[in-house]
Amino acid sequence: MATTRILEGLGRLYVFMLLAFLYLPIIIMALMSFNASPFYQLPFEWTVDWYQSLWQNGQLISATWNSLEIAVITTIISVVLGTAASLALYRYEFRGKKLLQALLFPPIAIPWLITGTAMLIFFFGVGIGRGLFAILLGHVALALPYVIVVVSARLQTFAPELEEAARSLGANQWQVTARVTLPWIMPGVIAGGLFAFAVSFDQFVVSYFLSTPGQTTLPVEIYAAIRKGFTPEINAVSTIIIVVSMALMLLTARFFKFGGEK
Amino acid sequence: MAGVTVSEVSRRFGAHKALDNVSIDFADGGFYALLGPSGSGKTTLLRQIAGFDFPDSGRISIGGESVERVPVEKRRIGMVFQNYALFPNMSVADNVAFGLSVRGEAKAVIATEVQRALDLVQLGKLGGRRPHQLSGGQRQRVALARAIVTKPRVLLLDEPLGALDKALRVDMQIELKRIQREIGITTIFVTHDQEEALTMSDRIGILRDGRLVQEGPPEEIYDRPKSEFAATFLGDANIFRGDATANGIRLPDGTAIAAGVGDRLAAGAKASCAVRPERIQIATDAGATDGDANVLRGQVSKRIFAGNNSTYFVDRAGQTLKVIVQNTGLDRLAEGQDVVLRWSPESTVLIAAAG
Amino acid sequence: MAAHGAVAARGGLRKALPLLAPAYLWLTVAIFLPLSAMVFFSFMTDLPLTGKPWAFTLGNYAAFFSQSLYLTLLLASLRLGLEVTLWCIVIGYPAAYVLAKVLKGRSREAIFLLVILPFWSNGLVRIFSWAMVLREGGILDTALNAVLPFKINIDLMYSYPAVIIGLVHSYVPYMVLTCYLTLQAIDDSLIEAGRSLGASRLQVLKRVIIPLSMPGLVAGAALIFVPVVGSFMEPRILGGRTGTFYGTVIEDQFVAVFNWPLGAALSFILLAVVLVILAVASPVLRRAT
Repeated sequence: MATTRILEGLGRLYVFMLLAFLYLPIIIMALMSFNASPFYQLPFEWTVDWYQSLWQNGQLISATWNSLEIAVITTIISVVLGTAASLALYRYEFRGKKLLQALLFPPIAIPWLITGTAMLIFFFGVGIGRGLFAILLGHVALALPYVIVVVSARLQTFAPELEEAARSLGANQWQVTARVTLPWIMPGVIAGGLFAFAVSFDQFVVSYFLSTPGQTTLPVEIYAAIRKGFTPEINAVSTIIIVVSMALMLLTARFFKFGGEK
Repeated sequence: MAGVTVSEVSRRFGAHKALDNVSIDFADGGFYALLGPSGSGKTTLLRQIAGFDFPDSGRISIGGESVERVPVEKRRIGMVFQNYALFPNMSVADNVAFGLSVRGEAKAVIATEVQRALDLVQLGKLGGRRPHQLSGGQRQRVALARAIVTKPRVLLLDEPLGALDKALRVDMQIELKRIQREIGITTIFVTHDQEEALTMSDRIGILRDGRLVQEGPPEEIYDRPKSEFAATFLGDANIFRGDATANGIRLPDGTAIAAGVGDRLAAGAKASCAVRPERIQIATDAGATDGDANVLRGQVSKRIFAGNNSTYFVDRAGQTLKVIVQNTGLDRLAEGQDVVLRWSPESTVLIAAAG
Repeated sequence: MAAHGAVAARGGLRKALPLLAPAYLWLTVAIFLPLSAMVFFSFMTDLPLTGKPWAFTLGNYAAFFSQSLYLTLLLASLRLGLEVTLWCIVIGYPAAYVLAKVLKGRSREAIFLLVILPFWSNGLVRIFSWAMVLREGGILDTALNAVLPFKINIDLMYSYPAVIIGLVHSYVPYMVLTCYLTLQAIDDSLIEAGRSLGASRLQVLKRVIIPLSMPGLVAGAALIFVPVVGSFMEPRILGGRTGTFYGTVIEDQFVAVFNWPLGAALSFILLAVVLVILAVASPVLRRAT
């Protein structure tokens, strides 16, 4: 009994150490964005100068707007197209359905470096070129499989008899979808949308290869800044990003349980 | 083989007393059923004996050796789990071999012992299958073979038949009993099914709210329950409540009921009498009156026909009594009929009121 | 669903097509055609659009096999992937075990969420945060010197260990997630059954728990190994001059050297390696489902 308690105590301690490993660097980075010294010197002196100077940085601001716009448009497009595809995959049986489902995994599994460079080559070859439109094309493609997987998972919990019951009561296919199916899968759709937003907003690799100097996103801009040298300004903007994306993730978790309930 | 002794064992989970000062002797080679409703502590007690959980106080010994601080893997027990808990990553033979293999037995020894155990449970040919390819009854047998192949000192069964359907359960009861006799192992068996406990075990312990209510051979508990709970949980019983007299009780309406079984109680104390439904005779007239017999009049309110017997519900002074009559083809009574109920004092158990 | 689907099977594709077409067209234009185009371009001497003359060639692949540099870097990247994966298993598996089998109820839910929370936050920013910790005069250096009686210089920045630390930090939540999912599916009574048969905790771990959680381990390993082999941003930021890997060379072909056909060939070789690895891993994964 004593051994069990000791082992369990050690286990808990271990998990807390892992949490420390995961969060300490982020916390330090955030703290440094409030430190007055531009060279990260201690002792710590509180300031919000770095956040104020972000406002003066036109390049960062426009990159942020680009990121937000692309993330919002990506979310809308991928949710609409992805939900439609999920419904089709759920409702109908046809040859090649397994193949279509399997095709969702390459975009998730193939390293973004490969996908990104391939997009660069192809978009350049067909005349789409680089820039915000190319980035949007890429982001939607990256987000779609996630939306379809998440919405399909939610659809698995939907009883087909409900659609049949609605039809037996005289509802047509469109009414069935709008009044029975969609309300049921809404948590999945919202979770899928938040995933899509996160994929796009945090996307660096693909955006990096598809951006041009004037048409760029926030992560790409940060990467360029980091390679020029570290400044507390990067800490400040990084802190904002991490807070936004973690808040999004928490929101997603409310709609979509990863671990499954027990 | 060895007997198991549990003395004064208590176990709390937070504010909940799962076991409250329980003492039982499990005789060497016996088949013992622990019976109780869910939450009565029967599984907790089994897990204390197995070593998955440890008592807050009290002693447990197996074969005279004190084991309260011995971890489960050193206790040399065999256990069959409610859902069988067969390792899905191993074949049937590897499941059965597991206990011998972790002990470092030689491969040849393991092979013979595994085959012998599988033969014993009549699955000799299925060693190469995977658990998911077996039926419920077959999984049950594999779990049993796996538990006994290591020659444990005691076999613990946690509601092993609960997941089987009725017909299969009866088969497995007979099978389990046969195997237990063949190897003569001390067996402790948790169940909430009273019929199972009655048909299979040499002794039964009834638990309620973490306490041992009564303990003894099935016949004794059935014929001489010591509490209303024991009387109604193991089998069915009509309960009359009143004040103790010299030879029975007096009901509130003044009717006297004579009891020939049970403890004598001080006159005037609150007491009950329990009568099994099948011990009561039911007739339309008083008939020849045997001087000692308890006689009550009532009216049939309902009859349920069940093939080999019928159950009559008889209303009497605001109480509904239950009478079970074998189907002899005679004496079918109609609902609404006035009847006379008669039973001997020897069929009446006097029980002190729960204090 | 099978029975439901059977009813709709007649003309299923015709009905499904309008709903499916937009999503799959988009994927075709932005993923599948680009990947095909990459293969195509990898056999060219130059891009056809630049106006320069071009021809089909095997030269880009020949470059990979004739110049030991590329092969060396690919091996270095594979080794990096292997090391990071191993560290993630060593660090992540015990944590997943504690989450699945020791913690209960609300605290398990909360801690699980905390572990996978960084997983979707910006990878670039998290890598950057390590630069704050690891550099000379950074937090680790300052903290250790404040505690230790003697003076030491911790300057892990721009080193191989820094790259490993940053990548493990980025990817360990994957391992925790996949292992947790398989571990929590293991019935506790299997563990108890093992112990009741005389197996010690370690024997149960080795013979029951690890074999049963193998699909989660393999899935986690694949999810980590594949992107790490193709990583370039992490080695650039944390590795500095020592951070030259296969991924950074591909990056260079596209953003610095502008030899796209060579870059395409190198990318395609990486894709082939990745596919082989996924193919090797897939039987174990399929066994799980």
